[in-house]
Amino acid sequence: MLVPLPLILFLMLAVIFAPGLPRDLPVAVVDLDGSTMSRQIVRMADAAADVEVVEQLASLSEARQALVAQRAYAILMIPAGMEHDLLLGQKPEVVVFSNSQFLTAGGIVGRSLSTTVSTFSAGVSLRLLEAQGIGTDRALDLITPIPVQASPLFNPSLDYIQFLLSAIMPTVMQIFICATAVLSFSREHHSPNGMPRLQRIARSPTRAILGKLLPYTFVGTFVLLLGDVVLFRFFGASFRGNIFVFFLNGFMFILACQAMGALIALIAKDTTGALGMMGLIVAPSFGFAGVSFPRFGMTLFSQIWGVIIPLTPYLQLRTDQTLRGAPLEYSLSTMAWLFAQLVVFSSLLWLMTRKTMAQTPVVIENITAEPQESKT
Amino acid sequence: MIKLRHFLAEVFGVIRTLLADDSAKSTMIVGILIYSVLYPQPYVGEVLRDVPVVVIDQDKSTASRTLVREMDVTDLVDVTMSAPDMETARDAFYRRDVYGIVVIPAGFEADILASRPAPVAAYSDGSYLLIYSNVMRAVATVAGTMGAQVNYARLTAQGIDDSTARTMLSPVTVTNVSVFNPQGGYASYVIPAAFVLILQQTLLMGIGLLHAGRKPPAGRRLWATIAAYFGLYMIWVAFTQMLIPYLYSIPRTGDLVTLFLIAVPFICACIAMGFAIAMAIPWREGVVFFLVVIGMPLFFLSGISWPVEMIPDHLRTISLLVPSSTAISAFVAVDQMGATAQDVAKAIQTQIVLVVVYSALAVALSRLPHNRR
Repeated sequence: MLVPLPLILFLMLAVIFAPGLPRDLPVAVVDLDGSTMSRQIVRMADAAADVEVVEQLASLSEARQALVAQRAYAILMIPAGMEHDLLLGQKPEVVVFSNSQFLTAGGIVGRSLSTTVSTFSAGVSLRLLEAQGIGTDRALDLITPIPVQASPLFNPSLDYIQFLLSAIMPTVMQIFICATAVLSFSREHHSPNGMPRLQRIARSPTRAILGKLLPYTFVGTFVLLLGDVVLFRFFGASFRGNIFVFFLNGFMFILACQAMGALIALIAKDTTGALGMMGLIVAPSFGFAGVSFPRFGMTLFSQIWGVIIPLTPYLQLRTDQTLRGAPLEYSLSTMAWLFAQLVVFSSLLWLMTRKTMAQTPVVIENITAEPQESKT
Repeated sequence: MIKLRHFLAEVFGVIRTLLADDSAKSTMIVGILIYSVLYPQPYVGEVLRDVPVVVIDQDKSTASRTLVREMDVTDLVDVTMSAPDMETARDAFYRRDVYGIVVIPAGFEADILASRPAPVAAYSDGSYLLIYSNVMRAVATVAGTMGAQVNYARLTAQGIDDSTARTMLSPVTVTNVSVFNPQGGYASYVIPAAFVLILQQTLLMGIGLLHAGRKPPAGRRLWATIAAYFGLYMIWVAFTQMLIPYLYSIPRTGDLVTLFLIAVPFICACIAMGFAIAMAIPWREGVVFFLVVIGMPLFFLSGISWPVEMIPDHLRTISLLVPSSTAISAFVAVDQMGATAQDVAKAIQTQIVLVVVYSALAVALSRLPHNRR
């Protein structure tokens, strides 16, 4: 049950993000002009890779309906008399309504449609300038006097596999690893005399912690590696770092998550309480890690909260080692941060384990081998 | 009348049982309250502003300085540094001191004056899409505005009259209007959706905590149990879909009756599914473990952050088995986009089918030997 669950989730996420970039997203057109030029704009819009014109609607109210019912992510509205106005030089206005409630899809189709109309406009501009006796080359220069060479460093195709999938997998792993650590520690901590028994068997807190957590460390490392193999081999996500450093980061991340999970198990009153507390702390951590909404744009509280979650430094290190290929020196401070989390969580865990192990055994009649709160 | 009073007493009995169970209480009540404070925190800024960028100005002219100043003035980026060369800029970039690099090559002003194209280059981090889009929008907007001014001056200098010059340079105006979330706010986008999932997950967990591995309630007690959870979660629907948007100043346009029409079948589907899971996994910890781990991946099946059109058909079909897969976008459509019941009819139907399917499954599973003790 333990290994298959994250693997099934990885597989599902991989299937979801497999296309890498959204393509042929549905948009609707309200062409009130119905001219040769307006039809040309619609054809150009449809030809763009990210957009597909699925409907031609007669009015804006129908278009609004299409947006609300999610049949289209954007509306391209061409006003009546567009061609006529254009020929008279009266600057007709073409409007793109994009649904920004769906930030990703709405943004992509909105940008695509605006670019299409701008391209069309530039084409008209070129012809007008040529008509003024300005040569084609000169006219082209005139249309964009300050061209911008936009270059996305590191993720040239702005691929969602590199950007999102690569960050979501460790997030799911963090929850999974913390949860297994909670369960393994709760077994002793929340059963009668479990900790004293652990004391008898392991004799020292260090050995107890290692004995409890190490098996899951191997499981976690194996699953994380497997996910990364899929990511880098199968999806060809770029890896520009040092495999050893990458692996070391992953290993520290797993240990830090385990220590955090086990610590929660020792603080909480019972197993389900511990899982619940773990869920509250760990489940929202994707937002705090700053992949979707960057950390520097957050409130101070959110930045501090992000600092104590292992996912935050680990995702930064992942970006450094995979997409950015940053030289090691730039990652050292983040590695120290992750290591500090590991040290702090482990020390607290060690102290808590020693304290709870030292409890004198309580004599209870019906000592059960397993925690059986579920049957109470 | 007396029957009703007995029934209500039974419902309050169920609520008392819920409050007496620490885990269930902290999941179904305290947890949601904590989430409502904690979860929105990273996004309360709504819009990303002032992304720090470094400029490499190799021209050092009036024109290049104007470009830098205009960029700094925008909300999108903040020019925090100027670097003599790419080496220095890259260093700042790797240190995460800046997230974008703008290069103005030598000869920028001379090119403009000589009516040659005067390109600028912008680099940003494609591993953070929101940051990338801010940097590129800032550079493109400023370069576009400056370019238009330059062009206008050139054409009018050639004796072309004012309005003709304007028309020639941009014969068609493009206006991009963002609807439903006008400022493109991140909180407005993610919070209404996420809380639907939070409701589903806590309800499923709570039912698991209270009923997994135990003898399922029967007769009047069963109906009282369902009524109690339903009542509690309708309060949470109002809390998360109306009060939370209000507290975080998220615009909402939803109509109450329509919200009710989607919320009722959704909560019922979650209750039925909760019992089915509780009957299937007779181990409280197991139920919670399973639900905590699958929570986040479920969000990506909802179509909010990744378009449903991109999800392969069979996965989409399987995902319909989870209420949130269709309910999240339906809630968002109703609350944020003012959808009518007709617009979300398909989602409502799906929820009703799920109520039937999971009720039948829960009843069937309750006959398993481990649930009959």
